[in-house]
Amino acid sequence: MAVLQLREALRAAMTEEMDRDPNVFLLGEEVAEYNGAYKVSQGMLDKYGPGRVIDTPISEAAFSGLAVGAATMGLRPIVEFMSWSFTWVCIDQIVNNAANVRYMSGGQYKVPVVFRGGNGIAHQLGATHSHRMESVYARIPGLITVCPSTPAEAKGLLKSAIRCDDPVIFLESEKMLNEKGEVPDDTNFTIPLGVANVERQGKDVTILSYGRPLQRVVRPAVEALVNDHQIDVELIDLRTLRPLDLHTIVESVKKTGRCVIVDEDWGYAGMGSGILYKIQKPCFDYLDAPIEYVHSDEIPVPFNHYLEEAMMPSVDRIVSAVKDVCYR
Amino acid sequence: MAVANELERKVKLSAPIPNGNGQPQGGGEVERQRLRTMLLIRRFEEKTYVQYTEPRTLPDGSKEMKIGGFCHLYSGQEAVAVGIAAIFKKGIDALVNGYRCHGHSLALGMSPRAAMAELFGRATGCSKGKGGSMHFFDKEVGNHGGHGIVGGHIPLGLGFAFAQKYKKNGGVTYCLFGDGAINQGTFNEALNMASLLKVPAVFMVENNGVAMGTQVERHSAERDLAKRALGYNMPTENVDGNDVDAVIAAMTKAAERGMRGEGPTFYSVNTYRFRGHSMSDAMKYRPKEEAEKAKLRDPILLYSEKLKSRGLVTQEQIEAMEAEVQSEVNQAVEQAEADPNPGLDERFDDILAETYPYQPK
Ligand SMILES: Cc1ncc(C[n+]2csc(CCOP(=O)(O)OP(=O)(O)O)c2C)c(N)n1
Repeated sequence: MAVLQLREALRAAMTEEMDRDPNVFLLGEEVAEYNGAYKVSQGMLDKYGPGRVIDTPISEAAFSGLAVGAATMGLRPIVEFMSWSFTWVCIDQIVNNAANVRYMSGGQYKVPVVFRGGNGIAHQLGATHSHRMESVYARIPGLITVCPSTPAEAKGLLKSAIRCDDPVIFLESEKMLNEKGEVPDDTNFTIPLGVANVERQGKDVTILSYGRPLQRVVRPAVEALVNDHQIDVELIDLRTLRPLDLHTIVESVKKTGRCVIVDEDWGYAGMGSGILYKIQKPCFDYLDAPIEYVHSDEIPVPFNHYLEEAMMPSVDRIVSAVKDVCYR
Repeated sequence: MAVANELERKVKLSAPIPNGNGQPQGGGEVERQRLRTMLLIRRFEEKTYVQYTEPRTLPDGSKEMKIGGFCHLYSGQEAVAVGIAAIFKKGIDALVNGYRCHGHSLALGMSPRAAMAELFGRATGCSKGKGGSMHFFDKEVGNHGGHGIVGGHIPLGLGFAFAQKYKKNGGVTYCLFGDGAINQGTFNEALNMASLLKVPAVFMVENNGVAMGTQVERHSAERDLAKRALGYNMPTENVDGNDVDAVIAAMTKAAERGMRGEGPTFYSVNTYRFRGHSMSDAMKYRPKEEAEKAKLRDPILLYSEKLKSRGLVTQEQIEAMEAEVQSEVNQAVEQAEADPNPGLDERFDDILAETYPYQPK
């Protein structure tokens, strides 16, 4: 085990997989000579050369499409987006091409590409740069959507994503790149895609979350609920948003009879509302309270720091939602 | 023909377009004003740099960033904004640009106070604290943003110009973007349509030589960016972006073409970015000698020297202007610091123009 920043964990995953498989390469804006806009790819150009660590112009549609094309020809591209907010300009390549080619061709092609980069609300970047893209991509059949919440997860899930034969949407949070955590150095360490992690066992209520809100507000809220309110929370880190590990989720909600979903998406048609739809039927007979969904306010993200904070899920909002479903 | 006459009439109503050949008009007052605006932009940006890097101590002893988020400074590129402003017809023309928008806003007449307050996220900011550094808007002065997605605003420029032609109001749209933005599909799509529709637009790449850390020669297959518009059937030229008069002359030509109904023009306005891409950029990719050399062609220096040699301004006058704009900028900071944040509930305002039966908060 080593203590790594999340950015270092991502880099470790990429370098280990590039060492293992010569078909893996990295491309994106500023990934090579600048060493990565957020220094995720620091030193990789020196190690692998400009043939495998490739700077691109600010041409998201062109380079994401390039990656899809190259993947169908047997290569394994990793595309770095500086921010997932910028992918609105290339969703066509990701959805119409990456996600559909295999199906439309009757399974003739595999599309082993990883699209990765910073997702979600950062720190005062305003409405254009703060999109939470999980509900946009997780609803697309043909794509795998993954969202790590710790450095170890980042490494284990990214390695699996690179080895995966399907297109993977890998959502990191720019604000988490400095976060440190213990990360296995074993080059065979992977975390399977499509499997949720029961982070804490409990009997009173199930909380479902993923990514940065899990780290930012959910874990502190769970601490408060357990210590100050004597509510025994079962906490599930979803890790993969599609395919969703419905089995683990449903078993937990059946056990606790109560469920709160937390994410930073907008509520209406947001990630959590999709999950809600998936679990209400199998869990209906077991529920002792309606499922609660704590999400961001349904507004464009404001620049002002206080307004930005106020719009996001908070420890208080989570505690109060959990108390609601527990009738406490 | 009727359209052209109508346009000419409207154009005559607005301020006379200076000839841009650097000849003094009316004792040099206009020129001194331009120099002053360039100085104002420079002082504003350099003060912004200081404000960004100096956190404030709160009553409880904790530190708070005065300016949050990304912040891209315009120092070094002042001649472009001021050159456009020199011929900009307020209330008729339109300007739209990317995220490096402080300079353009000030040149068009946004008050330093509204600009600084926006950087501080205050309710008194030009976008009520909801936009921030990348999203300055001032409809009043014709500044239609401030857009954070590279290349995303180029089609908007096409739309503004389309509206001007549609309304026959004699307006011209100045659509600016960085050299990195010409590699977006939007550039291709918008220029092609602008030419087909013959809209009165001036598309210009503010070529400061680098997109973030990627030099032009590493991101554009064609190094001469004026050539990137070949194939759209519109005039395309290189312009010295450090020379206000050259910018004015070029823009005048393009504006007149637009107003005659002949369609858009493309310019590569070549200049230099004195600061990093944003605050976190240590500019390791930039050779010191290159930056030193660029300082010799500082647009403010060039213009000051030119005006001095023509007897339009004295060193003392320049110093007085410097002091004036510095105090204006200092005042803007003081006011911004004292100004209130938007109320928390204001985060729900300005999402939709109308009220509907059920609107969740
Ligand atoms: C579509 C998109 N991709 C990437 C970014 C991140 N980004 C912001 S500014 C920038 C560099 C742009 O350079 P250029 O267009 O040359 O403008 P300059 O900074 O030189 O004024 C990049 C890559 C973005 N905002 N939008």
